[in-house]
Amino acid sequence: MRSLHIRWWTVGAAFAIAATFLVKGPYAASLVNLVAISALIAASLRFGMLIGEVSFATSTFVGLGAYGAGIATTILHWPFLIAMVLGPLVVIGISVLFGWVTLRIKGPYFMLIGFAFVEVVRIALGKIAFIGGVAGMVGIFPPHFVDPWMPTIVMAVVTGLLFSLYVIEKSDFGKVLVAIRDNEDIARTVGLNVLSLKIACFAIASFCAGVAGSLHGFVNNVISPDDFGFMLTVFALAFVKVGGESSIFGAVAGAIILVLISSFALGLGAAEQFVYGGAIVLAMLFLPQGLAGLPWRKCLPARWAKRPANLVNTVAR
Amino acid sequence: MQTALQLLVTTLQIGAVYILFSLGLTLVFGIMRVVNFVHGHFFAVSALMVGVLVPKVVATGLTIQSAYLIAAAAGILVSLFLALIVYKFGIARFLRDLEGGFILTMGLALVLDGVFLESFGGGVRSMPPIIEGNVTILGAVLTTQRLVLCVVAALLTGGLYWALSATKLGKALRAVAADHEAAMLQGIPYHGLALIGFLLAALMASLAGVLIAPVSIVTPTMGTDYLMKSFVAVVVGGMGSVPGAIVGALFIGVIEAVGGYFFDASTATIAMFVIVIFVLLFRPRGLIPHA
Repeated sequence: MRSLHIRWWTVGAAFAIAATFLVKGPYAASLVNLVAISALIAASLRFGMLIGEVSFATSTFVGLGAYGAGIATTILHWPFLIAMVLGPLVVIGISVLFGWVTLRIKGPYFMLIGFAFVEVVRIALGKIAFIGGVAGMVGIFPPHFVDPWMPTIVMAVVTGLLFSLYVIEKSDFGKVLVAIRDNEDIARTVGLNVLSLKIACFAIASFCAGVAGSLHGFVNNVISPDDFGFMLTVFALAFVKVGGESSIFGAVAGAIILVLISSFALGLGAAEQFVYGGAIVLAMLFLPQGLAGLPWRKCLPARWAKRPANLVNTVAR
Repeated sequence: MQTALQLLVTTLQIGAVYILFSLGLTLVFGIMRVVNFVHGHFFAVSALMVGVLVPKVVATGLTIQSAYLIAAAAGILVSLFLALIVYKFGIARFLRDLEGGFILTMGLALVLDGVFLESFGGGVRSMPPIIEGNVTILGAVLTTQRLVLCVVAALLTGGLYWALSATKLGKALRAVAADHEAAMLQGIPYHGLALIGFLLAALMASLAGVLIAPVSIVTPTMGTDYLMKSFVAVVVGGMGSVPGAIVGALFIGVIEAVGGYFFDASTATIAMFVIVIFVLLFRPRGLIPHA
């Protein structure tokens, strides 16, 4: 197994978490939360892309995470920690079932199924009265003693999950997933159960989306079905495409850059659509590998400039 | 009986517009293998142009009918121009790249959403009727305007069907859709035809937009709604298949009319998407698969 760069991860995570202590004021806090949660959603979408599938259902799983937090907190009055994990656990169950049915088909057909699924769930959530219908749920507050620490908690959970996703991707399991993407039939000939592996990948990605949803519910306090339409996944796709899908750092960097740019642009009065839409179009036309695909390594000293083998594979795809 | 007739008429009315809309979508998919998310915007821009221009032209003293025709021509031109730009600077680089085209057109759709909101405003427009009066067919009542809409849509669909099956251009388009490499070996210029096919699709979407503008409310985001349902139509019928798109569009019409009557609009939409999930699972190539 290649080095996991644990030293760099520790430094990076410590830095990110420490930075949240410096956050003052509600605007800065909400921006930090938004960046962290967006990064997790982007990483979740990208993890699904390891098997070559873009899962629009990501929107729905984020939504179910948020609704789990909402129902547990405002209706059932369950404690914070249980409310945090309720949605993601439900999401694991649903994603396994959904994946078991739908992962037999591939590419654009899978995208379209996800698309239809998101629309069905969004409209259906709006029709259920006890969770607020179209208006959604309000008052999803974390306990008072937790509230000031929310940015720190969000950052800690997000960096923890990002590191887990990274470790899984670098493990043998992750390599098998990439092998399935590159050629499913060959993977099958060596005796791999392709469908189960795909479902496992999908469930892991969906779980992370669910956690992102729970966090979103608690930091936003208000949720509605329309927050979880297919646009959420389109935005996440913009993060991944701009940052570059060859590495998890691409997805995270894309999320950080685009969220900051768009909140800056919103402050100037520009519409969100221009930022995200424009970013997707420009990235597709001029940066097919995203920012991660730029020749960064040429700027580094020669002894670091060796390209790891698995990156070459991904780029050659 | 009365209800059944009324529902049938409503189905045809809704279906007629969806047919025009879906035909373009399926044509683009067949020829270019691109799932075109911008298709709804070609539709919306012509409807918006009609919504904006008709009151202005009427104010100059022309009759509402001639105002409508002028506005419709302007709308179609703007839509075709938009399609030309989208094709030349975007889709031409993503021919036969399903995932790339999907993501690119999605980004373009977002940008155009922003452009439309900025230039037309977020408000909802409605228009005075172009043709007054009601007609009664076998006991079912509908406005003359909607009847004209149905007839024009049916004629356009028939014309397109004939053009695709009988003319040289239509044969070339079908050949490219069936096997673009074999078609190129026969000397059919693929890239030129792809552009023509794309413009033809945009033309149909803009005609649908022009026809829907007087009988429906016009908003900058109306295209997305039609696009979603036309996706369902195209997927159910079989992506790339012309008869499939017609069948699929009528199917959408039935669900929307019947489901909307007995339940409500959102239940009908849920039903549509659930059905499309099942079609994708069991017959991913649709009910009438494309060659």
